[in-house]
Amino acid sequence: MSTDHFLNEYIYHENTWDEMYDSKNIRQQYSHVFSMLKNLDVDSMSNRHRLAGELFLNQGITFTVYNNNEGIERIFPFDIIPRIITGDEWNEIEKGIIQRLKALNLFLKDIYHEQQILHDGIVPLELVASCPHYTREAYGIRVPYDIYVHISGIDLIRGSDGKFYVLEDNLRTPSGVSYMLENREVTKRIFPDMLSTSNVRSVTHYPMLLHEILLELASSQISDPYIVILTPGIFNSAYYEHTFLAKQMGVDLVEGRDLVVDNHKVYTKTTKGLKQVNVIYRRVDDEYLDPLVFKQDSLLGVPGLLSTYRKGNVAIVNAVGNGVADDKAVYAYVPEMIKYYLNEEPILNNIPTYQLSDPEALKYAISNIDNLVIKNTNQSGGYGMIMGNSINERDWLKAKAEIEKNPRNYVAQPIIQLSTVPCFINGKIQPRHVDLRPYALYGPQGIKLVPGGLTRVALTEGSLVVNSSQGGGSKDTWIIDNPTSN
Amino acid sequence: MERVEEMLRVARTHYMYSLDKNINSGNWKPILQAFSDLPDEKAQLFENDSYAALHYLLLDNSNENSTKNIIHRARENARGIQDHITREVWEEVNSIYHLTNRPFVKLKLASSDALEIIDLFLKHSMMYAGVADVTMQRGTGWNVMKLGKFVERSIEALVLTDKQCELFDYDLGKERDITNWRFLLLSLAGYEAYLKNYRSSKHNLQILQQVIFNADFPHSLIYGLNQIERSLTILIKENSSPEVPDLLRTFGRIHSKIRFTEPSSLIQTDIKHFFQELKQDLHSFNTKLRLLFFSY
Repeated sequence: MSTDHFLNEYIYHENTWDEMYDSKNIRQQYSHVFSMLKNLDVDSMSNRHRLAGELFLNQGITFTVYNNNEGIERIFPFDIIPRIITGDEWNEIEKGIIQRLKALNLFLKDIYHEQQILHDGIVPLELVASCPHYTREAYGIRVPYDIYVHISGIDLIRGSDGKFYVLEDNLRTPSGVSYMLENREVTKRIFPDMLSTSNVRSVTHYPMLLHEILLELASSQISDPYIVILTPGIFNSAYYEHTFLAKQMGVDLVEGRDLVVDNHKVYTKTTKGLKQVNVIYRRVDDEYLDPLVFKQDSLLGVPGLLSTYRKGNVAIVNAVGNGVADDKAVYAYVPEMIKYYLNEEPILNNIPTYQLSDPEALKYAISNIDNLVIKNTNQSGGYGMIMGNSINERDWLKAKAEIEKNPRNYVAQPIIQLSTVPCFINGKIQPRHVDLRPYALYGPQGIKLVPGGLTRVALTEGSLVVNSSQGGGSKDTWIIDNPTSN
Repeated sequence: MERVEEMLRVARTHYMYSLDKNINSGNWKPILQAFSDLPDEKAQLFENDSYAALHYLLLDNSNENSTKNIIHRARENARGIQDHITREVWEEVNSIYHLTNRPFVKLKLASSDALEIIDLFLKHSMMYAGVADVTMQRGTGWNVMKLGKFVERSIEALVLTDKQCELFDYDLGKERDITNWRFLLLSLAGYEAYLKNYRSSKHNLQILQQVIFNADFPHSLIYGLNQIERSLTILIKENSSPEVPDLLRTFGRIHSKIRFTEPSSLIQTDIKHFFQELKQDLHSFNTKLRLLFFSY
């Protein structure tokens, strides 16, 4: 390799886990990709980057951002160099997520029925009672096979010690799986040889797995269940994903106005008349799902849907009321849930979390703000997040007043240096921080994960915020077995 | 040109499959056998080399059935019948022909940009179909084109389905997963339609239903036969040759065989024999058709 090759310009951060470099050596799982990249020059990489952008644009793989003067549709930025995880690391992640989801699912069942975990004082009663996502209307509803968390995306980060930690559980309507699948398809176009020679596990079967689970959730007496995906509509930021999944599974994509409830059954209006719906994969949040029960002015939902659900005449995926389990304050108790319900030690660790409703914790957070990130428990997508090391004095004083007004709505966590990966940005190879969102499917046959997930990248130099709504991008994630230098 | 489009779609699907671990071995032999008369020992040389296989299928001058050779023949035909086709159709055929001779095509097909070339040709062949549909008068020329197109499409549907069943040792009693059939459906541009229209997990029966018997699926055998019937009826109105009744009887036998076969019974019958007989019948019909209309 000539000394001026673009790969030589890569300077990883000290004290941060770099996914490609181990001290000054290339990690084994990256060696093959590294050697193939060595044969490419900057122009060739730029051409691939351009081609990837064109492919996303031509296929309409865009997402919507509100309040943006440039227009509402954007390409989700994609970095062409894949992120690589070894098969052994993945196996551990998979075990950890399966364990976590089992516990969270049991928690949801418990919390909407016996509430034993509250009686036993493992999770504080006031924490659940004050959680805005605890849905009293869902209390006592029996869901098919006692499964609540059918589709989940658990956000993981890798700390500077090389271990994976759970950053957040997404148990309501996690998005991004279409990008995971499309990223792989684009990689097939731009690096076909690299992909086919790297022993990468396939992710393409995800829609089939999801479809199987949705079919299984319908009542066993129905031989030909009718499944729909309920979308808020074309202005939703994840609308592309809704259409993508509908196409990949061959199911109908409907909006609330396409559905009607009659005599505790849900129907779709079709040109041939009403057709009964057996399973709804909803991408509409709880509070908009049924205007008779939740927000009365919601036009996105279906009046009477919750009573149909309660009667067991329709399966709703994910279950109503899951928000209580992925609340950022409840998150701190997941390790305790694992011990309580499964009698096991957590395989994946949490990040230490301070509940600011505790006066001592609040005092600690205020005096150590430089080293902490404060998160609003009711917000997601990177919104409502205060990075203590970069906030200015004026904003901090304003934020502090808000926190002190309602500390239950905030948690604090130490700022973790997310691991970095090489990215090709502006013709140069540069380190950027990433997280990982693997997708899990929970059906009557158990929990299944597709090997990979969505690697989200903070494309701004030094930034730790990976959310797409905050300028983040993504990468194809490769799980490779028996890495060799080829 | 219909064969070009089908070959490109199959090549594209197989190439994409070959990049995915655990889905397919990436072996090109069945594809080479379906679209050329390459002897076994030569097919073995290419079977694990995507670029060599793609070159043979698409650009090899020694392969009578390569897309390049087919396009060259299509252009010769088009040149000879320019008075029966529109200027737009001629220009489209001509532009595809010149594309096959461009140096970058060969270079890119042998590199990681191979898919770009397959997609380029695929786009052109679909453009050809669209241009013909939009500009051609619905006269004799149009019906002859349609006849050729749907004879080819029917044969391809049959050949590809037969090839898929051969991979299952013609044992359709054993239920197969959708992933096993996905290649066939994608190659016939029918994967999304299948997911939309068929619901149960009895994929063997449903897929045969779609690719052989579904009259609404444009790449099914019955759809092709229905289209042949329409064009044939129009063409023979103007033809009083003594061979016409025999041609109609041959076609009628094939058409009836499909129209009056119960899809579920197909699984229990000797499907290999059924496909072989159909292929022979279709080839025999094709020969008679050529003799009647083109005298060769």
